[in-house]
Amino acid sequence: MSESCKVSSERRGDVAILWTDGYINNQGGEEIAREAYTQLDGGARALVLNLEKTRIVNSIGISILIEVLEKVMDKKGALAFCGLTPTIDKTFRIMGLAQYAEIYPTQEEALRGVNAPTA
Amino acid sequence: MTAPVPTSPASRLDELWKRIGAALDGEGPLSSRIAEAALVATGARDATLYLRDRQAWVRAGESLPAGIAPDEIPDPLPEGIFHREGDLWLPLSAEGELHGVLRLCGMPTAEAPDSAALLSFVLGSAVGAHRLSRQVRDAEFELKARLLELESLYDLGLSLGGQLDLSTLADEVLFRSISLTDAGKGTLVLFDDHGAVLLERSVGGDVLSARDAAGWTLPEGGTINNAAASVPTAGMKLAACEKCLAVAISVPGRRLGVLVVADKESRDGRVLDFTATDARLLSLFANQAAGAIETARLHKDAIEKERIESELELAAAIQRQILPRDLPAVAGVEIAAKNRPTRQVGGDYFDFFPLSGGRLAFLVADVSGKGVPAALLVSTVHAAVHLQIDEAKTVAELIGRIDRHLQKYAATRKFLTCFFGLLEPDSGTLRYVSAGHNPALLRRAGGRVEQIKATGVPMGMFPNASWREESVVMERGDLLCVYSDGITEALDAADEEFGLDRLTRRMSAEPPAKVCATVFDAVSAFAGDTPQYDDQTLLLLRRS
Repeated sequence: MSESCKVSSERRGDVAILWTDGYINNQGGEEIAREAYTQLDGGARALVLNLEKTRIVNSIGISILIEVLEKVMDKKGALAFCGLTPTIDKTFRIMGLAQYAEIYPTQEEALRGVNAPTA
Repeated sequence: MTAPVPTSPASRLDELWKRIGAALDGEGPLSSRIAEAALVATGARDATLYLRDRQAWVRAGESLPAGIAPDEIPDPLPEGIFHREGDLWLPLSAEGELHGVLRLCGMPTAEAPDSAALLSFVLGSAVGAHRLSRQVRDAEFELKARLLELESLYDLGLSLGGQLDLSTLADEVLFRSISLTDAGKGTLVLFDDHGAVLLERSVGGDVLSARDAAGWTLPEGGTINNAAASVPTAGMKLAACEKCLAVAISVPGRRLGVLVVADKESRDGRVLDFTATDARLLSLFANQAAGAIETARLHKDAIEKERIESELELAAAIQRQILPRDLPAVAGVEIAAKNRPTRQVGGDYFDFFPLSGGRLAFLVADVSGKGVPAALLVSTVHAAVHLQIDEAKTVAELIGRIDRHLQKYAATRKFLTCFFGLLEPDSGTLRYVSAGHNPALLRRAGGRVEQIKATGVPMGMFPNASWREESVVMERGDLLCVYSDGITEALDAADEEFGLDRLTRRMSAEPPAKVCATVFDAVSAFAGDTPQYDDQTLLLLRRS
């Protein structure tokens, strides 16, 4: 099983949805950050990170996600996560990501949470 | 547009101080505010803030640390404020430690030295504060990471405690091990009871050859760190990684698997050494995994045992159906018979066959072994006797026919001992074959007990075997006792057998049913609570 992370994205209005597939480590985190900053620089107000195809996150990946979160907050935007495994959900809550970013069970709920069109 | 700075030194510095303060109090990341403060304070066209991040210089405010050109910053950096290619460079220090350097381009006028010094001092303090806040944040992050480790250990224990699926269990252990040690890759291999590979999982590429991992030489409970290992452990693919940490998954006396993580990551892309904390964490995960895997294995064994017991119960039920429910009523003969099965399915079988002319055929058979195979053989014997009994002219011929039937159709290679008798009540003649069976007892009406020995080998043992048929006359009042060895070989707590003598002493002039009850009571009293592993069967006939 290869777990190198792939990231894809789609814009819906001023919200960008990012889908991750694989291990969010240094490499995976940077892939996410690169895509996130591209979206933010391109005018996205909010980001929804769908992690339903990710089963592992390490602390380097988390620190990069925190950097992304800080960047979003600097821009007064919003960041939401969805599709987390129970382990990653708990990890995000302990590591403080859930303090400033909302966690939703599904992508639809996350999109509603950041006030984006769901279709 | 930036307002001009007053010319009076005191008012100029005061104004500068206010502008710097206002910019630093603004919104956005502190690093951006510092650069902004420099711009508003100096009227420069552009300001770039470089910060020390671990060993390298990075431009503040960049989303990703892209690195800087080799000659972008003078190396070594001159002490104090300096000019380079028309730009003003302000080293930013706090409490004697250099935290950053500010580059100002396109200054409208030459900056007064006191203003530059003030700017350097104030922004140095701000950068120091910024650095301190990052250190606090990093320390807080580390603290949360330790908390996460503890929580993960707790969660893993809970999760594995109820996890009986090895595949899910392996993923759980491997993912958490990789995640919490910041490893870039890892492999988990589990072995079965015979050391063959049962399951293999890898993330980020294999770092362990599953095929070779069975030859693992790591001491129990130990870990290996290839940064320090002088002798590679069997199965390690050291070429596939720079640094690895490995631990055996074991229970006392048995290797269950191997867990390896490799290439601990850092934010700047370097591969770090695994720490003592990582090794301890991995060992704890391996211990938890070992306990859970053993529990899963025991659970599987328990299910298998339950299945076997269920089959045995079914076989016992079939066997009970084979044994006669009622004793036949035959003129001139008093009959008693009883079978006491053990918990497991045994191989005792008795039966009666009232024949023409008031004759009575009967048998007691004892199949070797227990369980389903023994029950199958009993069932085969039962069918064979019922098929052949009307065809044979003599008892010996019948036994021969049954034996050939068994040789041809029996599903299992078992044998059985059998006493088969044919009693003519009118004359008292008993024709019999004893195929390797225990000696039957014939208690004469006067009280003397004779033994009736075997007349051939057990059935099913040798092809083309034959049996000698013999006869004896039972006088009125004589009692014949045929039994299985579960009676005479019943054990007491001292491992002593009930024996033929004790059985012989229970033969009496009482009615057969009473004698039967007496024997079983005596066997029970003798054995006490000692578990018995053989069926007990007793058949009694008295010619009246």
